[in-house]
Amino acid sequence: MLEKKLIKKVLDAALTTNADFAEVFIEDKFQTMASLLSSKIEKVNNAKVFGVGVRVARGYHTVYGYTNSSTEEDLVKLASDLAQSFPGEPLGITFELEEMKVGNLHTIKRYPSDVSIDEKVALLKRADKAAREYSDEIKQVSASYQDYVQKVWVANSEGTFVQDTRVRTRLGINSVAANDITKQSGWYGPGGHYGFEFYDEQISVEEAAQEASRIAVTMLHADECPSGKMPVVIDNGFGGVIFHEAVGHSLEATSVAKGASVFTGKKGTKIASELVSAVDDGTIPNAWGSAEYDDEGNKQIKRQLIKDGMLTSYMVDKINSRRMDDEPTNSGRRESYKFAPTSRMTNTYIENGESTFDEIIAATDYGLYAKKMGGGSVNPATGDFNFAVGEGYMIRDGKIAEPVRGATLVGTGAEALLKVDMVGNNLLRAQGMCGSSSGSIPTDVGQPTIRVSEITVGGRKGAN
Amino acid sequence: MNFDLLFKKAKEKGIEDIQVYLGKSNQFDIEVFKGELEKYTIADSAKLSVKGIYDSKMGTVSTEIINDDTIDFILDSIIASAKTIDSEDEVFIYAGDKEYKEVEGLLNPELEQVSAKQKIEDTLELEKKVLAKDERIKMVQAFYGQSQGNVLIQNSKGLQLEKESNNAIYGVYVIASDGKDQRTAIEYKQTNDYSDFDFEYLATKGAEKAVALLGAGPCESGDYEILLQNNASTALLGPHLSMFSAESVQKDVSLLKGKVGEEIANPMITIVDDPFMPKSPKSGAFDDEGVATKYKELVKDGKLTGYLHNLKTAKKDNVKPTGNGFGRIAPTNFYIKPGELSYDDAVKSMKKGVIITDLAGTHSGTNPISGDFSLQASGFLVVDGEITEPVALITIAGNYLELLKDVTGVCDDLKFGFSFTGSPSLRIKNLVVSGK
Repeated sequence: MLEKKLIKKVLDAALTTNADFAEVFIEDKFQTMASLLSSKIEKVNNAKVFGVGVRVARGYHTVYGYTNSSTEEDLVKLASDLAQSFPGEPLGITFELEEMKVGNLHTIKRYPSDVSIDEKVALLKRADKAAREYSDEIKQVSASYQDYVQKVWVANSEGTFVQDTRVRTRLGINSVAANDITKQSGWYGPGGHYGFEFYDEQISVEEAAQEASRIAVTMLHADECPSGKMPVVIDNGFGGVIFHEAVGHSLEATSVAKGASVFTGKKGTKIASELVSAVDDGTIPNAWGSAEYDDEGNKQIKRQLIKDGMLTSYMVDKINSRRMDDEPTNSGRRESYKFAPTSRMTNTYIENGESTFDEIIAATDYGLYAKKMGGGSVNPATGDFNFAVGEGYMIRDGKIAEPVRGATLVGTGAEALLKVDMVGNNLLRAQGMCGSSSGSIPTDVGQPTIRVSEITVGGRKGAN
Repeated sequence: MNFDLLFKKAKEKGIEDIQVYLGKSNQFDIEVFKGELEKYTIADSAKLSVKGIYDSKMGTVSTEIINDDTIDFILDSIIASAKTIDSEDEVFIYAGDKEYKEVEGLLNPELEQVSAKQKIEDTLELEKKVLAKDERIKMVQAFYGQSQGNVLIQNSKGLQLEKESNNAIYGVYVIASDGKDQRTAIEYKQTNDYSDFDFEYLATKGAEKAVALLGAGPCESGDYEILLQNNASTALLGPHLSMFSAESVQKDVSLLKGKVGEEIANPMITIVDDPFMPKSPKSGAFDDEGVATKYKELVKDGKLTGYLHNLKTAKKDNVKPTGNGFGRIAPTNFYIKPGELSYDDAVKSMKKGVIITDLAGTHSGTNPISGDFSLQASGFLVVDGEITEPVALITIAGNYLELLKDVTGVCDDLKFGFSFTGSPSLRIKNLVVSGK
């Protein structure tokens, strides 16, 4: 950790030209990863990460630099070099760094450093055993464990001085089921802003492993998915990836501010079916995407993005708020000191509606039931999205029928939002890693079971 | 850090052999928007990765704090990690090969001699050029990126290898709009020779691509002959690289298991891993384990000739390592060899087909274990050899190995993607297209 006096010197060096804002971000992270394959522990790795990022801005123009060095000489040089991008007289900004605020909102009971590596890899062995015992058709299992403690310090020329500690852990299980005809895999990866207590109090390792195997075996016996336009029922939990990809990214100031989003200028207008309300909430205790402070040193908040179909808020970081003349929503996040922050999601989900799961299925004569979603992507400028269905079933005559595999859903976010015609009451969140211009960060997606009246489904079987 | 001290202390603690991998990089990025410099990044960073054999197991650790004070942490972590591993696989620290090829053109000093000011001006000029191409172009983001890397490998068996390389990229991200529809395109060029950059060409290509798809919508669902454009073919090859890894084969998660010597693709297909390709930062004389790299045709005239190996997998299969131990097994410059068919002739040859220019979601819509894929695509409908309309929001579905067998033409337009995987455009017998 750097001394307050040194940080101040670096910030001052960054303001020696015509810049109006300077920020120092310090990261000190310790990470442990372990992996299992073929029932054996294959790899265990500790990693120490340390670096300092300096950002200097004038208006909405920013320059960024980073280094692993923590010496005064190197850091002041970096700040001065960056300042050269804004030639001109200094603006005479004077400030004092405030008393350091320390984040401690999310309680951690067992810090990763207090848990032996043997205890950590024992989880992998348990997962492997449970995944294999699920079925004889499970032929291969791989599992991974990770935990980290990421300490960050953020200080800026407005006097902000904050320290936040993020403790996260995640277990991932990949089961492969095989027969003479094909191989199919199933994946499940629960995680949270927790210490090792996560595995005693929050999840069952065995159930998580069985879930991965259940998906693999189900898909082994699935038929190819038919293609065409049809109603799609998207289940709760990771099903929320549709909202994350198709809508969430287009509500980030990163694309809104430049007019590169389909939702630019739509605040206060109806963009979704009135059944849809959605939030991005960085304050949920111990959630995977939570932190007490964002990576620009501001308190995480809960943002109501959509209320009864109306667009109520974007997700806005500091610099983009200057460009789009909108209030920041403390949404600045970054993977590490190697990235300048930008507006990003935290825990993003569609809120509960009133239908039950059974009512939604019973009301659907023919369609696809997407029980588990895979990943996907979106083009924020067009809103075009695609995502893979990890576990799917046909719905016939209001009942869940045969399993199908290989389905991909494509459409545009704006259209799909308007076509949501049923929203369930069983909200659930699930964990993911979200990649964008400020790197790969942990985010929760979530929703209750919803039905979209029509989506294009791509599958190998061809049109019905 | 004093590596001799590290090696000496390792011996004292009972670590049989030890190897350090020190990677340093310098980064310089520019982004311009609306005629102004918008983002500017300068960075230098270093990471030390160390592995050591303790009680016949390989322990690993990495650190970005690199000084003699971290030596004890490094050695203790290696021992703790090794003690936990129960994989029976034999592990190695490599004494080195007799010969390492002299790879030319990895580092081009002239790249550094072009001033930052010149690069900013060129990026601004590039943006201007794209905007001037067509009035339907609403927004352009032009960018420049440059990195210089230095790798040092040193181990207790006396091996010492060093490599320096640099690379630069110019690119444009273009948004076009006709008032009703909005489309995007990206076009870029990577090289370490500044004189290779042709701004006029980049601007023309980027602009053409963005406006060409305006007004696109889904075509009728059905089976179509497909022309998979070079960019799209490269995007589809990427997620399937793992099937060439001997590690995947040994784990039994590769479609190519047991197929060496068999025809896995149409005889027109040859797939190359070339570590000596000029002007690529992926090129080099050795891999991360210190093994000498070599040129190989993994698929020759449709037949699979072998897999990519590191030291561990090579030992298991009793073959020579191929110099592909980069953390995991990975290719260097990996591409489908170009053929002789011209792209225009390929278009003219199609009766009822779809040209696929872009694929989205290739990380989620593919399954390298089964080869099945179903992907969002866009491109153009072709009827009787003529492009009739742009198409978007369709999906194409199939199986990658079946696709390689169903190739009916290989074009002469090899193009590389960001990660130096490349392909020419491929004409495919047919794929299921889901649209209207």
